[in-house]
Amino acid sequence: MKSLKLLSLSVLVVLTACDDSDGLNSAVKESDIPVTVQNTWYQQSAATVETAEVQAKKIDNTRGKAKNVILFVADGMGLSTVTAARILAGQQLGKMGEEHQLSFDKMPFSGFSKTYNVDAQTPDSAGTMTALMSGVKTDVGVIGVAEGVSRGDCTTVAGNELVTALELAELAGKSTGIISTARITHATPAATYAKSADRNWEDISDMNIDNNPERAACEDIASQLVNFEANLEARFSGVDVNGIEVVMGGGRRHFLPKDAAYNSADAASGVEGDRTDGRDLTAEWQASYPNGDYIIDQAGFDAINAKNTERVFALFNESHMQYEADRANDIAGEPSLSEMTEKALAVLDNNDDGFFLMVESGRIDHGHHAGSAHGALTDAIAFAEAVQTAMDNTNPEETLIIVTADHSHVFTIAGYPKRGNPILGKVVGIGQTEPSLAADGMPYTTVGYTNGLGFRDLGTETDADAGYGVPAANGRQDLANVDTQSPGFHQEALIPLGSETHAGEDVGVYAQGPGAHLVTGTNEQNLIFHVMDYAADLVASAEKAMQ
Amino acid sequence: MNSTWVTRSAVATVFLAASSQAGVLPDVQKNSAWFTEADKKVQMKSEQKTNKKTKNVILFVGDGMGISTLTAARILDGQNKGLPGEEGYLSFEKFPYSAQVKTYNVDAQTPDSAGTMTAMMSGVKTDAGVIGVDEDVSRGDCSSVAGNELVTAIELAEIRGLSTGVISTARITHATPAATYAKSPERNWEDISDMDIDNHPERAACEDIASQLINFEKNLEARFSGVDVDGLEVVMGGGRRHFLPKDAAYNSADAASSVEGDRTDGRDLTAEWQAQYPDGKYVIDQAGFDAIVADDTDKVFALFNESHMQYEADRGNDIAGEPSLSELTSKAIDVLDNNKHGFMLVVESGRIDHGHHAGSAYNALTDTIEFAKAVQAAVDNTNPEETLILVTADHSHVFTIAGYPKRGNPILGKVVAVGATEPTLANDGMPYTTVGYSNGLGFRDLGTETDADAAYAEPAAVGRQDLSAVNTHSSGFHQEALIPLGSETHAGEDISLHAIGPNSQLVQGVVEQSVIFHIINKSLGLVAK
Repeated sequence: MKSLKLLSLSVLVVLTACDDSDGLNSAVKESDIPVTVQNTWYQQSAATVETAEVQAKKIDNTRGKAKNVILFVADGMGLSTVTAARILAGQQLGKMGEEHQLSFDKMPFSGFSKTYNVDAQTPDSAGTMTALMSGVKTDVGVIGVAEGVSRGDCTTVAGNELVTALELAELAGKSTGIISTARITHATPAATYAKSADRNWEDISDMNIDNNPERAACEDIASQLVNFEANLEARFSGVDVNGIEVVMGGGRRHFLPKDAAYNSADAASGVEGDRTDGRDLTAEWQASYPNGDYIIDQAGFDAINAKNTERVFALFNESHMQYEADRANDIAGEPSLSEMTEKALAVLDNNDDGFFLMVESGRIDHGHHAGSAHGALTDAIAFAEAVQTAMDNTNPEETLIIVTADHSHVFTIAGYPKRGNPILGKVVGIGQTEPSLAADGMPYTTVGYTNGLGFRDLGTETDADAGYGVPAANGRQDLANVDTQSPGFHQEALIPLGSETHAGEDVGVYAQGPGAHLVTGTNEQNLIFHVMDYAADLVASAEKAMQ
Repeated sequence: MNSTWVTRSAVATVFLAASSQAGVLPDVQKNSAWFTEADKKVQMKSEQKTNKKTKNVILFVGDGMGISTLTAARILDGQNKGLPGEEGYLSFEKFPYSAQVKTYNVDAQTPDSAGTMTAMMSGVKTDAGVIGVDEDVSRGDCSSVAGNELVTAIELAEIRGLSTGVISTARITHATPAATYAKSPERNWEDISDMDIDNHPERAACEDIASQLINFEKNLEARFSGVDVDGLEVVMGGGRRHFLPKDAAYNSADAASSVEGDRTDGRDLTAEWQAQYPDGKYVIDQAGFDAIVADDTDKVFALFNESHMQYEADRGNDIAGEPSLSELTSKAIDVLDNNKHGFMLVVESGRIDHGHHAGSAYNALTDTIEFAKAVQAAVDNTNPEETLILVTADHSHVFTIAGYPKRGNPILGKVVAVGATEPTLANDGMPYTTVGYSNGLGFRDLGTETDADAAYAEPAAVGRQDLSAVNTHSSGFHQEALIPLGSETHAGEDISLHAIGPNSQLVQGVVEQSVIFHIINKSLGLVAK
């Protein structure tokens, strides 16, 4: 960022007084202030504003201009996670890192979402994703139902069901898709298609119906996924929809009977399935969609020819998919989030009426919960790559892409490391080569957590969840001889908890495409549904198609 | 929210009522206030128009005001009004446009206020610790300044003939305000006694920051020959010690130390200022402030404190009394808008940062709330058709809002979960606060103390404490911290920029901090091609 200084600058060119039409004095000319204007930072920043002006002029406030909508949700990706992931991604490319841009950093518009749930200051993914998908904030822990519900009470669901953007797109005749690296029945993906008084009712065995017989009237989340088409048609009489075209994620256990006979080649447990009702939902799905491709591994994924594939149901893992850093350790192999995104788009864009796709990176959140910045940040980088894939494979004139998080984590980037200091390393001050020492004489890491399991040194372990094997170990540790950049290092934490917690501050929203400018400012999280509705006219299109 | 918005909002309601007749959405959804409010807001956003012609620019900087500080301050502000808190907005969070800002300095991953404010004021990122000079300078090396001086928006506005003002609750010679008017290879050279010239004779060639403030007009005229400017119209803040000789004879009625002044060169810069501007008003306290009749006041130089101004929560304890940031802002606008050509004003809330450094969420948040009031005062006292208001921070702090408190749980309280009435216990069997710090001085219980800096009297006490019987809402409570440091540190994540008024639509996306200058430049036409 050095600039040539051609002029010595003590005294500058003469400026004439007062000439302008507005009565102001003449402005300083660029040639009068070369040190300032020839600086690369100056020039790049000036160019940013020129681009902003072009973008502002191009803003088109036409309702329904977006043919396609893609909502990317990075579970637990607060601002500190974005900044740290950006630096790590840049450093992996051999740069200093801070100046790097993640894919969505390059999108023209951004905003902030207030994430609280109706009953919770710091929210969970069920309430937040319901807000994103329905335009209505609700309570923590509930899926696709309004705040009138009582969590865990099946009898309170009726009359509180909300309609989601995915359902509206389906009703409008668009293709629809859901991708998650978590279990596809987990809170975030579930809130696109299910209504449930409890996010934990992922399959019938989770509902404890024996002791709560009234819950038999509620359908578990996995079953709702497989019955999505039938259920939607039942709710709107006379409607004929064709179901979700793309479903990819983890969570096979919730779709298979609790019987080793149903184990897949990718099974991790002795008995893979959890279902106590004997149903094999994967078989039910295949029976509903004989032309659909049900797959469980990388080989099956690679074999999909998107052009002539109508429908994909992929369950790549018994529980969550692997952390990106741990993906190679998957039993039968599984694709990255970016690969899934690319394949999903190739399937979904076969529809001239457009598509709605939701892509969740579920394990950023899990990495943080486990106190592993490495796990969280490497998944955040994979998420950014998936967004880049979507940017590369869609037309920004007709596709609204919104990137956001559901909530943050208590994850901080502490000072004062010098520029380019390894983001997973210990703080080394400006001009220094040895770590800064705290008042206790010990070094400390740049990134850390306010609470959680705390320090562990699991060497080259790439599965952050291995951190749960030992009880919380909080407070300070002597890290002098610890390699804090290794995948198995878990950061120190102050308050000992079995799992690091979410955080309550606003999260970022990033957008491009028709309607993207509407995300700007500080808004309630449920505004994002309304931006999608404005951009793709989802409600009106659904209503039109239903008439 | 200005009147234009309200009008549009009313129009949007009518539009909505007409368009939501059909039936795909159930009543529980389409009649939900969450739903209708958000739909209205999107409609309003889609109709938002901004002028391009900018007469005035006000840049507000909340020092150390990261996103977590905004959220927590918003909740506290609402709770102070008897509301749950989460649903509210600080004044500037209602602004129509926003961006996310990358704060790092050229040589620092997590920045300081000197480098960040230089970026905002000059359009050029630079090193940590240096003021108004580019990255080619060596921090602390006076001989490296020449040829690396940058021009700031305040200087350019001054040359353009606009009125100019700088306000801070910190010392007016502190990094953030200094970067509007000074060039220094070291932010700590606030007055000549800080420069240790005896041991570094070459530093005699550099002018201390306080002196540069007083000599702003003549220095600018010397740098740009042929230019005739009239100097800063409004300068208000703390830091009197850097302007007075180290001699008790110069003590003011508001002196806190036995010898108020720090200057070792015998100069009384307040007298020098008055000599230059005989009609100007030099004031040091609330009474002097109140006596200013803005409409016929040409210039104000106010130094309300020997060092920083008080924390807002501690303002009642100021010796001779001092105004709030919102009072300062209103008065400044009243003076500056006497110029029909317009003005440029920079307003810093310097003590949000200090509250956090001292590990006091109470002080940081109460100063943030006052900052938001000051922004509202600016909105109320300017015309949104002609005044661009930008609100941002320079950097964040390692301040977190932990889970899982129920809705409306006191933001300074202990975590009480959804459906519970007693605090959640950690694995060590002890309760914990919602807000906390990753590092710093850690826990202290100073009761009703309203000056966060009282915390520095004792060494860092980090790690867990039994807070069962501690009132964590009291002004003197300092949160626990993990890593023991003499001062809680800045944090490195992106911060926010909020904008309203002409050209506010240029505030977009994720940008380098130096972009802020260019938005101002584009709006006021400060630099000609």
